[in-house]
Amino acid sequence: MFKKILVANRGEIALRVISTCREMGIKTVAVYSDADVHAAHVLAADQAVRIGPPEPSLSYLNLDAIIEAAKATNAQAIHPGYGFLSENPEFANRCEQEKLVFIGPPSRVIQEMGDKITARQIMVRGGVPVTPGLTSTTSDPATLLREAEALGYPVLIKATAGGGGKGIRRVDAPADMVEAWEAASREALNAFGNGDIYIEKFFTRAKHIEFQILADTFGNTIHLFERECSVQRRHQKIVEETPSPALTPELRQEMGNAAVAAAKAADYVNAGTVEFLVDETNNFYFLEMNTRLQVEHPVTEMTTGIDLVRQQLEIAAGNPLEYTQKEIVPRGHSIECRIYAEDPEKDFFPCPGRIDFLEEPKGPGIRNDCGVYSGAEVPVEYDPILSKLVVHAESRELAIAKMVKALKEYVILGVRTPTDFLMDLLRSEPFVQGEVFTNFIDQHFSDWHPGDAGDAMAMLAFIADELAPPKSATAQAAANDTVATPFQTLGNWKL
Amino acid sequence: MEYNLTINDRTDPVHVDITGDNSFEAARNQDAFEVSFARISDHKIAIQVNGQTFNAHVTRTDDGKIVMIEGRTFTVRDADLAERRKTSGKGMASAETEVTPPMPAVVILVAVSPGDQVEKGDAVVTVSAMKMETTLTAPYPGEVTSVNVAEGDKVMPGEILVDIRGQA
Repeated sequence: MFKKILVANRGEIALRVISTCREMGIKTVAVYSDADVHAAHVLAADQAVRIGPPEPSLSYLNLDAIIEAAKATNAQAIHPGYGFLSENPEFANRCEQEKLVFIGPPSRVIQEMGDKITARQIMVRGGVPVTPGLTSTTSDPATLLREAEALGYPVLIKATAGGGGKGIRRVDAPADMVEAWEAASREALNAFGNGDIYIEKFFTRAKHIEFQILADTFGNTIHLFERECSVQRRHQKIVEETPSPALTPELRQEMGNAAVAAAKAADYVNAGTVEFLVDETNNFYFLEMNTRLQVEHPVTEMTTGIDLVRQQLEIAAGNPLEYTQKEIVPRGHSIECRIYAEDPEKDFFPCPGRIDFLEEPKGPGIRNDCGVYSGAEVPVEYDPILSKLVVHAESRELAIAKMVKALKEYVILGVRTPTDFLMDLLRSEPFVQGEVFTNFIDQHFSDWHPGDAGDAMAMLAFIADELAPPKSATAQAAANDTVATPFQTLGNWKL
Repeated sequence: MEYNLTINDRTDPVHVDITGDNSFEAARNQDAFEVSFARISDHKIAIQVNGQTFNAHVTRTDDGKIVMIEGRTFTVRDADLAERRKTSGKGMASAETEVTPPMPAVVILVAVSPGDQVEKGDAVVTVSAMKMETTLTAPYPGEVTSVNVAEGDKVMPGEILVDIRGQA
């Protein structure tokens, strides 16, 4: 096993990786930008190396600086986390060249799975069902129109490169085709330097269900069951759970087999995720393969009892898988809520700032993968995820109840978080019924506002806070005034 | 005391009577609340209202307080505070540059009149909140241009009790 690894990430995922490393007796090296000098991941690691100014392109995306940091600290391997360089084939390739172990799949696999058309072709060859549509790119409007006619509208024009919702256009009628194609291609060219596009069927009421897989260097590949990720806002997941309330045991087994087939077709090694779309008649289609540890991996850890980061490290160190498929037996139900610094009343717009106070929920079956602390700054430069609140209970119903309880206890002051929105979402009838599709938030919560419930309590809390000001407020006032009044020096006095 | 509190954009008058150490009665519209409370930490207050207990977490912002209760976030503002600041012709009130009480209080003594010259640290107004008296002092040397309160007035944080024009 490795003696020391570098974690090329920040926030909660860097802490998550460091946590397992500490359990395994592996030393850790954190990297940080000037915006993260006192960030939680820097404080948690054995060593920390500055890699550049706040701009991601000059720090967390700075290949040279990260490779240099690994060499300078004698780290043997690099864990990329998610986002940043995690799915950058050039970075994986550089690691390979520099004799640093990249904790993830080989660069060739990242490259192939990162190109949607190549991935589709590999899956078709491997016998994995893909969304109906083209398996090659085209720039011929006649071909696009003919294919769209055959698929039936609406269709989706997609850039073969990149992701993150860029280079994607929905087309509802033939008249819109040429314009949508040009726009998608132009956007993709600007964003990814590649304007190639293709076309596939668009499903209005689809479910987004993904399978966790593990593959070692000896050709052993297993899946660790599914995650339901249909609850999304601004094309980003916000609530995930396992098992999916939509899958029958038969469908689950069929999709699990397809996920393993997909991983084998891709020559996959390490932890990865196969994403499927499931339509209303329970047909499923390969969507893409994520060649990294997913944000939502904890729900799988909760139900399977397997530490996925430890598995990643074992596989990267060249060890064979410790489990066979039949030894993977999930138990109970797990839900994750992503806690971002964002305002659910303002279209989930990010709200960076300083966290005045943080109190994490506690109790049996509650896990909070948290990257911040009381007093921490949430920089504007990065994804504003603060933590992932995860629960595990015997059933879905009990997991929902546990999550609502945990959200009630979660106190974050200083930046707006969507805990109230999430409570309303989890308790809503369609969610409780498991009627969750990718358009869930648009359909049921597009104009969400907090209700008046509890505002009288807030009023009384305001008055109580006025009548007995906190020590910090009086201390602050005293510090501001050279001749302090007794009010300001008495501290926490009572009326 | 009378407050006008804005909670998540709705404003209501609230009447508050302090009834003892760490207790008060509040009335808003048709609702009456009998409240006792204990400050647990800088950001945490345990509150008992009409026999029910809950915890509130509070932080102060530039223009009010953020209150979190049971996972719900409320923005609470003292609507009159905004008014008082407007009339004082300044943005933010602070003990550093203005003569303002740190909490709801009653004026006991006004020690200056318009036209008086004051030195930094000179007593200008004495206020009392419950059993506590305190003297507010001039934050900088200058000339008193107006006295905005009289003895016996109820005053609130942010309210400018005495205007002082600083020496050039």
